[in-house]
Amino acid sequence: MLEIKNLHARIAEDGTEIIRGLDLTVKAGEVAAIMGPNGSGKSTLSYILSGREDYEVTEGDILYNGESILELDPSERAAKGIFLAFQYPVEIPGVATMQFLKVAMNEQRKYRGEDELTTPEFMRRVKEAAAELKIAPEMLRRPLNVGFSGGEKKRAEILQMALLEPKLCVLDETDSGLDIDALKVVADGVNALRSPDRAVVVITHYQRLLDYIVPDTVHVLYKGQIIKSGDKTLAHELEAKGYADIIEAAA
Amino acid sequence: MPAVQETIDQVRQIDVDQYKYGFETKIEMDKAPKGLNEDIIRLISSKKNEPEWMLEWRLQAYRRWLTMEEPSWARVRYPKIDFNDIHYYAAPKSMSGPKSLDEVDPELLKVYEKLGIPLREQEILAGVEKSKIAVDAVFDSVSVVTTFKEELKKAGVIFMSISEAMREHPDLVRKYLGTVVPQSDNFYATLNSAVFTDGSFVYVPKGVRCPMELSTYFRINEKNTGQFERTLIIADEGAYVSYLEGCTAPQRDENQLHAAVVELIALDDAEIKYSTVQNWYPGDKHGKGGVYNFVTKRGDCRGKNSKISWTQVETGSAITWKYPSCILRGDGSRGEFYSIAVSNGHQQVDSGTKMIHLGKNTSSRIISKGIAAGVSDNTYRGQVSAHRKAENARNFTQCDSLLIGDKCGAHTVPYIEAKNSTAQFEHEATTSKISEDQLFYCLQRGIPEEAAIALIVNGFVKEVIQELPMEFAVEAQKLIGISLEGSVG
Amino acid sequence: MNMQQAIKMTAAETALVDAYGAQIGDLPGDGAVLSLRDTLVHELRTAGLPTRRIESWHYTDLRTLLRDVPAADPSAFADRVEAIVPGSSVLSVRNGQADLKSVPEGIKARSYTDSLVDGSAAAGLAILGADDAIGRINGGLVRGGLEIAIAEGAEFAAPIEIQVVQSHGQAHTRFPVSFGAGSKATVIERHVSTSAEASFVSTVSDVTLGEGADVIWIVVQQQGPADTHLGQIRFDLAKDAKLHIFVINAGGKLVRQELHGRASGEGADLTLRGINLLGGESHTDVTFTLTHAVPHTTSSEIIRNVIFDRARGVFQGKILVAKDAQKTDAKMACNTLLLSDEADMSAKPELEIFADDVQCGHGATVADIDHTQLFYMLARGIPEKKARAMLVNAFVAEIVEELEDDEALVEALEGVISAWLEKHA
Repeated sequence: MLEIKNLHARIAEDGTEIIRGLDLTVKAGEVAAIMGPNGSGKSTLSYILSGREDYEVTEGDILYNGESILELDPSERAAKGIFLAFQYPVEIPGVATMQFLKVAMNEQRKYRGEDELTTPEFMRRVKEAAAELKIAPEMLRRPLNVGFSGGEKKRAEILQMALLEPKLCVLDETDSGLDIDALKVVADGVNALRSPDRAVVVITHYQRLLDYIVPDTVHVLYKGQIIKSGDKTLAHELEAKGYADIIEAAA
Repeated sequence: MPAVQETIDQVRQIDVDQYKYGFETKIEMDKAPKGLNEDIIRLISSKKNEPEWMLEWRLQAYRRWLTMEEPSWARVRYPKIDFNDIHYYAAPKSMSGPKSLDEVDPELLKVYEKLGIPLREQEILAGVEKSKIAVDAVFDSVSVVTTFKEELKKAGVIFMSISEAMREHPDLVRKYLGTVVPQSDNFYATLNSAVFTDGSFVYVPKGVRCPMELSTYFRINEKNTGQFERTLIIADEGAYVSYLEGCTAPQRDENQLHAAVVELIALDDAEIKYSTVQNWYPGDKHGKGGVYNFVTKRGDCRGKNSKISWTQVETGSAITWKYPSCILRGDGSRGEFYSIAVSNGHQQVDSGTKMIHLGKNTSSRIISKGIAAGVSDNTYRGQVSAHRKAENARNFTQCDSLLIGDKCGAHTVPYIEAKNSTAQFEHEATTSKISEDQLFYCLQRGIPEEAAIALIVNGFVKEVIQELPMEFAVEAQKLIGISLEGSVG
Repeated sequence: MNMQQAIKMTAAETALVDAYGAQIGDLPGDGAVLSLRDTLVHELRTAGLPTRRIESWHYTDLRTLLRDVPAADPSAFADRVEAIVPGSSVLSVRNGQADLKSVPEGIKARSYTDSLVDGSAAAGLAILGADDAIGRINGGLVRGGLEIAIAEGAEFAAPIEIQVVQSHGQAHTRFPVSFGAGSKATVIERHVSTSAEASFVSTVSDVTLGEGADVIWIVVQQQGPADTHLGQIRFDLAKDAKLHIFVINAGGKLVRQELHGRASGEGADLTLRGINLLGGESHTDVTFTLTHAVPHTTSSEIIRNVIFDRARGVFQGKILVAKDAQKTDAKMACNTLLLSDEADMSAKPELEIFADDVQCGHGATVADIDHTQLFYMLARGIPEKKARAMLVNAFVAEIVEELEDDEALVEALEGVISAWLEKHA
């Protein structure tokens, strides 16, 4: 589903190279965890996958279902099924959460040539998904992410993920700032979306989240490259020994 | 620093007399007759042995000035100035040209000693060998001495009085003089262009980091004398210089006029840091006397990635009218303005800055703290503008006023002008009084009210104090405390 | 002042002075009214229209910007238009003529023309100061309007709409409106043009709130793309009076909307909200001054500007806290979205404070659309054009929503905004 080939990328503004020859393949149905110390390029990778302008790809390619997505703008990638759960979900005062969800769902449907949802159908879907994630209806009437607690923001991200039904979900440090209860709710939400035609990329610094979202593969990112790949035991190994050993071994 | 320690000690000794620099010195003076006309300008020019082009420049400015009107937009009121009732030139008689320290009139040295300004290099060196400050001392119309000249010369830095520079480095002066503040810029700058008598000149060559802080100390002593100094600082490509300016005047019943012009030029990657502690005589408690401080200060970030930073602590003068500004011409250049303006008694302050964004990716930052007490008026007036081509111009302005007592006024007049959609301007201003809670807390801990106010005010201005060189910071804090004496009760 | 007389009058100045000359004898009012009109027009002739050298007109050089003034045409009648909020009581003025057909109970309304004729209008015609060009033009040329008195304690379920409809030519109107103690009302002052032909409109509303009155005053300015609109609202708040002014500028080529008021009674509270939607080559200036004259008064002002194309926006706001007006709480903000490289915005938010125990502040920002927000929306599959439109709308919608108590009103104002954005964005 996702194939990253020899990817090099830098910050557009100052030219700092962050991703330095990254290779990664994630198959449909797979949950891949990307782990790495701070500053290894994890968040950058999530932004590049979703097409943020602040980064420039200088070499290599990203194939999604066999097609390069580098020329697509972020909204086209989203409509094709790539979803990024933000580490820091953005507050948008003046835009009600409900309104935002409706526009996003319908615009994606329009892009794919599908009919817009009727209002009752839209309401039904939102209510169901919100209930699953223990999101109170009042929250949905508030402006998007404005005044939400850390946990509420992350749950709202997963709610959007559930409603937009993406094919490739990229979760950027979704566990940061969450207590254990909130973490479980979020993980349950993600697990419910696991399916044979959907891939999930979980970006995280700690193994903790992976106890709840059990990955099929684990990749260690360091200085913009994948330096080691393995199965879920690799995550435990990292937890026990830290990154230093692996970095040394790879060097 | 011994000098500063001395100053602090003096500050400590003060109790009743608020203005400690109010003494007058009897020094025999060589004065031009009162009044302003072309002959006086010729006299000034000849006293200073100026080249012909300089005299022409002055006369041109004078003729222009005759056609101009005094500005009236500032929030200050004062009786009409009789420009013919002022001496435009006054110099200590013993001075006939730049001298070495040994030849300087001992009376003069005593003045500076009394002011806490060390002019004897060996004395400075005897102190804590941490940082050195080179001083250019300007007494009424002339520079009396410049210290550390030799040492600076080794680094290639030119630091001398502007009169001297006109003779020794005429090409440099001619190339840059009037290029930031043009002759016809405004009423007072034009007057200054015609009659300026002395001031400092600094040139820091390419790639040189000036090895010590440079400083000018201005003193108006003589009665009915205007001080019109002109300072020109050039930091060539990649150079850095930090410059300090201090000023005082004797306590007098009549008003004294100070109309200076300061021009700063920063070429590619250069940085100039200009700090002022302005403590001209503010007048007595009935509003009698005091200095009219009508000053034009402007920096030109001419080169790419250049930086000019103004820091000012304004506690003196009866009237202050000054707006140290930055023209952000070079791409990536940066301007900063940090200001504390304290007004008490009958003082009137109308001060602020202009940040003119012309180049791409330019940024500016303005932090202004105004403190009004007594029956004073304190106005912040600032302009931030981004021109059509100033892509990605950034400005942040924070401008806070504190009122002490209910008979003073604090005013904020920002002008925000954006002509480019990529500009990002943010302006915030607040006006409030000292929090009762904070004050009570201090009192409860046994701190007397005046000390508590000084403490809280120093907290209020901390962001700006931090920008001052260490030596000045301590002095500035003390000064603020003294300026506010008598503001409560 | 020989210098001033030597200045050649501009075409617009000449047109205004001539308009007075042409209508003399026909303009309502004699005695004190007439002599005041003469003085005002004489001042206009000698001082001319204000230029940028006059501080309060620094960003709107009326002398340069006002190129011509269409001739007054007494036959330029326009029809009454539908009320913006369904169910409102509509009082209209068309080409200066008052229409008093549907005056609801609790309101006393008469034609301002009558007040000019009987001389009772004379005192209110005085200008606010030497720089009051709007007061001067309007005072010289005013033909009609409405004089409205709301009874003490009166309350109204539906808004009262004052409609000024203009097809072309000139209109100079006045609306002295007094709200009795404890009354509660929503007034919509609406300026609409019905044709693309140029109109020149000057209008002054003089709003007085009695003790404890609670008023929402809404200005909807939707004039045509060739129109000049010079509006002025004067207001005075008695003890515990509460006034919420909401101004939306969504039209006109040259617009200056002035608001000058005074919190005269303790406990008075003013809220000002402004939305300025600017496009094309228009120039729109909102100038506001408020004097907190007594202790314990509060005010809050938020202005949001959205500027497209080659439009120019100006906001000047001055909060003056008088000596002894302790415990004043005043906050002012002016936020601008500058959406074109050819657009520009000038803001001058001033504080002038003479009392120490106050909490006053202002903020101003100028920026483009927030890129992080935009990216977030794109990442959710919303196309860029749509995402931008939503963000622009959100930027102004926030302050409309404060009027949530009246859903129909919110809907009407949102309608004005979305209609404008659809046309310009």
